[in-house]
Amino acid sequence: MDTLTYLAQGFGVAMTPTNLMIALIGTLIGTVVGLLPGLGPINGVALLIPIAFALGLPPESALILLAAVYLGCEYGGRISSILLNIPGEASTLMTTLDGYPLARQGRAGVALSLSAWSSFIGALIATCGMVLFAPLLAKWAIAFGPAEYFVLMVLAIVALAGMAGDKPMKTLVAALLGLFLSTVGIDANSGVYRFTFDSIHVADGIQFVVLVLGLFSVSEILLLLEKTHHGHTVVKTTGRMLFNLNEARRVFFINLRCAVGGFVIGVLPGAGATLASALAYMTEKRIAGPSGQFGKGDIRGLAAPETAIGASCCGAMVPMLTLGVPGSGTTAVMIGALTLYNITPGPLLFQNEPQLVWGLIASLFIANVMLLVLNVPMIKVFTRILAVPNWALVPAIAIITSIGVYAIHATTFDLILMVLVGILGYILRKLDFPLSPLLLGFILGGLMEQNLRRALSISNGALDILWSSGITQAIWMLVVLMLVLPVIRIWRRRQAQRKALLADA
Amino acid sequence: MVFQRVFIAVWLIAGLVLAYIGWDYQAPFSYEPVGPRAFPLLMLGLMCASLVYLLVKPTPLSQEHDEQPMDAPTLRKILVCFLLLLAYALLFEALGFIVSSTLAGMAFARLYGGRWKGSAITSVLLSIGLYILFDRILDVPLPQGLLSGLEI
Repeated sequence: MDTLTYLAQGFGVAMTPTNLMIALIGTLIGTVVGLLPGLGPINGVALLIPIAFALGLPPESALILLAAVYLGCEYGGRISSILLNIPGEASTLMTTLDGYPLARQGRAGVALSLSAWSSFIGALIATCGMVLFAPLLAKWAIAFGPAEYFVLMVLAIVALAGMAGDKPMKTLVAALLGLFLSTVGIDANSGVYRFTFDSIHVADGIQFVVLVLGLFSVSEILLLLEKTHHGHTVVKTTGRMLFNLNEARRVFFINLRCAVGGFVIGVLPGAGATLASALAYMTEKRIAGPSGQFGKGDIRGLAAPETAIGASCCGAMVPMLTLGVPGSGTTAVMIGALTLYNITPGPLLFQNEPQLVWGLIASLFIANVMLLVLNVPMIKVFTRILAVPNWALVPAIAIITSIGVYAIHATTFDLILMVLVGILGYILRKLDFPLSPLLLGFILGGLMEQNLRRALSISNGALDILWSSGITQAIWMLVVLMLVLPVIRIWRRRQAQRKALLADA
Repeated sequence: MVFQRVFIAVWLIAGLVLAYIGWDYQAPFSYEPVGPRAFPLLMLGLMCASLVYLLVKPTPLSQEHDEQPMDAPTLRKILVCFLLLLAYALLFEALGFIVSSTLAGMAFARLYGGRWKGSAITSVLLSIGLYILFDRILDVPLPQGLLSGLEI
């Protein structure tokens, strides 16, 4: 019953007029950012950190703002998927498969509202799951010492590569680059300046907002340059705006199934909304069998990935709040924001800052309701935003990004560093290196090093502390599993190819 | 494929040079068994090892279906865009937010296929609007630069 008391307390925090207003503004900004091509939840959240700071928001309000933007982005990403056939985010790629055909059939309004509903159910179930499991996990995680934490972060990094699918090696390299970059700057334990090249600007490390905006916004500006010739045509939303009861009933069980699956995937470190939506779509396609119209405008193919995305976004906040280990790129940025407030996320957060944790959870409920309600009346406005041409959009992205970076330290150096990081990010993207592992590595790097050093200080340098306890051994087993997973997957694919070749011959 | 190999090779060399630099990081006096150089060297070592693997066995690029091949005009445009971004970053403080953003915004809009008139109007409105929003309403101080005498 403790949980319910805390939850009520959380609603007390989230229902104050300021926080309600912040959640509303956050969801609106998030939706707009999400539906614009080239801006995703990572940029959206990173851009708002300096603003939250400048406004002097208390940490819980800042976190509510960032979480609302995160959810809003995932909602907005859907709109461009359905109406333009262009995924606003990587995770909504699956939504285009059935959402766009539905829109072409003149059922855009139904598709939009049904996907909003699915996403809402997913988020709702995941938030309930969060209320149930997060405190348990936090209680359990208090038993974690530095050694356990270090191994857990190794698992998070390895899981990224293991879950990444086709390019585990590139994912790993990207994560390692992020881990290395986190060591730039003064070493807090010994006072040694590492890799600063005598520059005072990086003495306290690379600012993570600079890294995020460089990697994700600047590289996106460059990517948009290749797409200037393409003209988009927005499918008109005509006819029914709301789905009917019959359609809701047809997808109800899919919603439930995919919500649970999405939540579990969201909780796992490293696997985010992209994987959750892909898995949900594939599974439902298989369950539907030949009777399904998947790919030609089946509402089940629309509901499945959307539910999973909604659920995994909320699920990703569980490891962030309970363990301090982010499950996705966006939650990594949120951890960075919390560190700016001098709050270290982790199991103690539930004890020390209950108003922050439960306020955030309660505001997730509220933000989801807001998004669902906003969706129908605002859709006309959102579709108009989609019609903004690139030549007007890019200057806005460039200028706002620069403001975000300048707001932190007010130095030209940070701006130049952002541009250089952006070029690097652009090349990495062109070469298929995924960028969110880099970001995750950067956020985890500092924690990882501190915990490693603390653990080895406890054992006076003996390495066996890293695998002597039961918890560490269990986590190491998972690490090995994650390392073996891609090897098996590649081996099976080869096997299938060989079979296909034999069948041909 | 060639470019990928070259890039990975450069990356690898940079990693090795950084590892060489990092070798000297020693704490003058220390209370703990692990010094400041162990973790970065470990990460660099793993990174370089993975890069060697990628150099030997690069993964083929999955070309996204709607992506055009890189041709000379696109490459030139990307270079121009990079220089523009750099110039904007350098002039941000010197010229002040409104002036530098108007100029950069106009150049960006032109580069992305806008007409002169539309670009000019958009960038002027954008920079003044964003200045009022951030500097005045949201309390994010922005440089005034050339316009600092106006005392607005």
